Amino acid sequence: MTAALLQVQGLTKIFGHGLEQARRLLAGGCGKDEIFRRTGATLAADDVSFEVREGETFVLIGLSGSGKSTVVRCLNLLHRPTAGRILIAGRDILGYRREELLELRRRRMAMVFQSFGLMSHRNLLDNVAFGLEIRGEAKAARHAKALQAIDLVGLSGQEGSRIDALSGGMKQRVGLARALANDPDVLLMDEPFSALDPIVRRDMQAELLKIQARVKKTIVFITHDINEAFKLGDTIAIMKDGRIVQCGSPEDILYRPATPYVQEFVRDIDKGQALSAWHVLRRLPLPAARPGGGQTEVGDGDFAFVLDEAGHLLGWSRQGGRGPAAAVAVLTPAVTVDTPLRELLPLLVEGRFADPIAITDGSGAFQGYTTGNAVLQALV
Amino acid sequence: MFTVLADTFPSWYKLDIGSWFDRLIPLLVVRFGWLFDRVTQDLLWVLNGLERLIDLVPWWVQVLVVFVLGWRATRKLGRGSLYAALLVLVGLLGLWEEMNQTLAIVVASVALSLVIGLPFGILTANSRRLTAGLRPLLDAMQTMPTFVYLIPAVMFFGLGKVPAVIATTIYAVPPVVRLTSHAIEQVDLEVVEAGRAFGASRLQLLFKVQIPQALPTIMQGINQTTMMAVSMIVTCSMIGARGLGLEVITAINRLEMGRGFTSGLAIVIVAVLIDRLTQGWYRRGPKLEEGRP
Amino acid sequence: MNKHCQYALAGCFGLALLIVPGCSTSKAPAGQAKVIKFDEVGWDSIRFHNAVARLIVEKAYGYKTEEVSGSTPITYPALKKGDIDVLMEMWTDNVPTYDKDIAAKELMELGVNFKDDAQGVYVPRYVIQGDAKRGIKPMAPDLRKVADLAKYKTVFADPETPGKGRLYGAIPGWNIDKVLHKKYLHLGLDKTFTYFSPGSDAALAAAFTAAYEKGKPIAGYYWEPTWLTGKYDLVRLGDEPYNAATFNDGIGDIPSVRVTIVATNSLAQRAPEVVEFLKQYSTSSELTAAALAYMYETKADYAATAKWFLQKHPELWAKWLPADKAALVQASLK
Repeated sequence: MTAALLQVQGLTKIFGHGLEQARRLLAGGCGKDEIFRRTGATLAADDVSFEVREGETFVLIGLSGSGKSTVVRCLNLLHRPTAGRILIAGRDILGYRREELLELRRRRMAMVFQSFGLMSHRNLLDNVAFGLEIRGEAKAARHAKALQAIDLVGLSGQEGSRIDALSGGMKQRVGLARALANDPDVLLMDEPFSALDPIVRRDMQAELLKIQARVKKTIVFITHDINEAFKLGDTIAIMKDGRIVQCGSPEDILYRPATPYVQEFVRDIDKGQALSAWHVLRRLPLPAARPGGGQTEVGDGDFAFVLDEAGHLLGWSRQGGRGPAAAVAVLTPAVTVDTPLRELLPLLVEGRFADPIAITDGSGAFQGYTTGNAVLQALV
Repeated sequence: MFTVLADTFPSWYKLDIGSWFDRLIPLLVVRFGWLFDRVTQDLLWVLNGLERLIDLVPWWVQVLVVFVLGWRATRKLGRGSLYAALLVLVGLLGLWEEMNQTLAIVVASVALSLVIGLPFGILTANSRRLTAGLRPLLDAMQTMPTFVYLIPAVMFFGLGKVPAVIATTIYAVPPVVRLTSHAIEQVDLEVVEAGRAFGASRLQLLFKVQIPQALPTIMQGINQTTMMAVSMIVTCSMIGARGLGLEVITAINRLEMGRGFTSGLAIVIVAVLIDRLTQGWYRRGPKLEEGRP
Repeated sequence: MNKHCQYALAGCFGLALLIVPGCSTSKAPAGQAKVIKFDEVGWDSIRFHNAVARLIVEKAYGYKTEEVSGSTPITYPALKKGDIDVLMEMWTDNVPTYDKDIAAKELMELGVNFKDDAQGVYVPRYVIQGDAKRGIKPMAPDLRKVADLAKYKTVFADPETPGKGRLYGAIPGWNIDKVLHKKYLHLGLDKTFTYFSPGSDAALAAAFTAAYEKGKPIAGYYWEPTWLTGKYDLVRLGDEPYNAATFNDGIGDIPSVRVTIVATNSLAQRAPEVVEFLKQYSTSSELTAAALAYMYETKADYAATAKWFLQKHPELWAKWLPADKAALVQASLK
């Protein structure tokens, strides 16, 4: 279990005047509406606690006004919390002096914004190099690093462009490049794709996953789109009225909703997209590799599978039928554990509903199988 | 007793601020004469130098400069030619030297206004207290009838260029302050947040993010300030500032309408030229490196 | 803006254009025939004389009076037209067409207000003689005539034009300004002095005031009677003897000007007794200066100064009015 890089404990933020009175009401157990009615102050975040492990993508999801934007802005102290602790690598950043805070922002954290936050008076390269410029790096060095980040997001060759001339998707790539150029420990992303067209949004999500696979950053990701959360998040926390209602893996949220609100929240999830073959996989015990061993057979009560010595599938047969050699058929296309369930559906038509669907890992090695029934059950 | 409720304001008690002012001014003139003389001398040194500089430039170079600036500002050759032709017209009207004298005062006033106004504009941005504190002063500077502070200015600084520049500056500073402050406050919040999120210090935020982003609107403020300085031309001539304004009031006092019209026309041309040429700066915006879009 | 709005706006505009001209006061309705309008051309001596005349006209003859402000070139035509009734101080050298207009009966000249006034180039006395009390040494001891200025260009140094002295001119547009400028050229002062146009009489007065208070030298146009010459000790520089033929070319001294009282023709029909009174009205530059000095010292307004003046010189104005009217005025002064 990797260590928690970021720990948030009891984070509370109240906006507006009448802070003292609001604090007292809060201690007395009043909720957001009550406090607003009596003091005019807004309780944006109420005793929020969570942990983010190194290298994971932590998604904070909620509707407008749920407090998610406030929380992420507290993480780099753009807003100063009213109460609570924020620990990065074990140190409470609320105790930081001004210089330490600036260093934190310059080196350890970076942020990507919903409306991009780019500077129209600078060209693309200078926007990406902005964070590096702030922390005082020499021109040659920061240009080199910036070009690397530009390459990472797929915008090579466009360094001289004006920001005004870019499309939304390109602008957000610039925003992402700017954040990555700083090589931060933690990447804060505030609804970065919400302002993009659906198609561009999908592309950016895929892009982020690709980049994550390469750089493995610790990401705190804000969104209001449950599908996006499921696609990108290792851990998801649902917020309502400033409080975290449930925090867990996507499966926890989906299959074990803590409250009716959570249930309602995930109702619109596109299960065909959010769930993959992994979720309906029936694992089979795989034989140990035996070089030069020839074919092996694995199976359970329903089906038997024939594998070659590399572990790749050669054929299958129904149990209780005539011997393994009776029906050797290779199922195509190969379905991997990451294949979204939706893509399994076409395999179930044309009378093949009763047949098993073999599932392999990324390298083609057989992992197990699933059935049409299982797929449909998961989709419901 | 019931006079209080009469129609006209009761006159049995008058607040006499005026005589206090009357006593204050001569006192200041005598006591601080040395200070005002110093300021006058310094300002005069700058102004005389400026006038000599403008005189050094041959007339056709001035016309060429206007042509080039006009062309670059509007990207149209025709416009550049038009502006140059208008300038030549002033010369044909026989008012070239007067125009240069007026120009010296306007340029000096605008420069002084910017030197004073820009820092104050930056300081008041995002400071509600400072904005509220300065506002009555700025309002007074813009609306107080100019002659009210013009005559004390003459007593402190003598007649001529110096009180003219000082009075014009007083009148022209408020737009710079207000528009600069407004421009900085209007910068996109997320852009400022981005600056802060990447660890910009307050100064870095100001000079690398806020001011460059606010530049188009700030330029608008500079354009307005310049126009207000031009509008003070005639008033300045009433305290001995030479130039087009003096032509105008001489014509008025002699009821020479033709001469008044001619000098008025010259002032209009100067105003229009300055306005168009300075507008060109802010519409184009700050320079960017052009690359493939 | 939709079509209805546009039409409505145009309609309002048209209505305004029709109504506004009708509001002008150029045609005074019959009930206003009794208001007599006095011209106020911007300097304090005329305001004083206006106050004196108005007091008498109101108390003795029962007319309502008004003051209309405006510089001479603007109000002079109004005087001819009848929009203004009386000008108490017509400095006859200032308007070139004056004599012609009087001869052609476009205006009535009712008499001379005063003729012991003075105009010219003034310097503070302490510049020539020094002032022991203020610790000022004489700076230009041989300065007698305007031409002598050439010797003292460093004393009257012009800060804007190094190497030359500064001579303040008259108000731009006044005839005397043209004459003075010609004089400046004729005396060759353009080699040693700049001719500095002050722009307005307020500025000129401010320049003199500031210099006098600081004890600094200053040389420039001024005239009497004014509160300035009443308050400060200024000396008028001499010149060649006055010569009517060459005066306009700037050669020769500036004479005293006949300052007359002028009225519009229609006043004779509307208020003949007032015209008679104004024909008798006569003061002097000395008296006017004294009144202005009093006003300046006591900070009284013009009306109060007029009252003080009439109280002080009953023998003077008794000559202007028939006995019964004089009594009315006397009563109001209590």
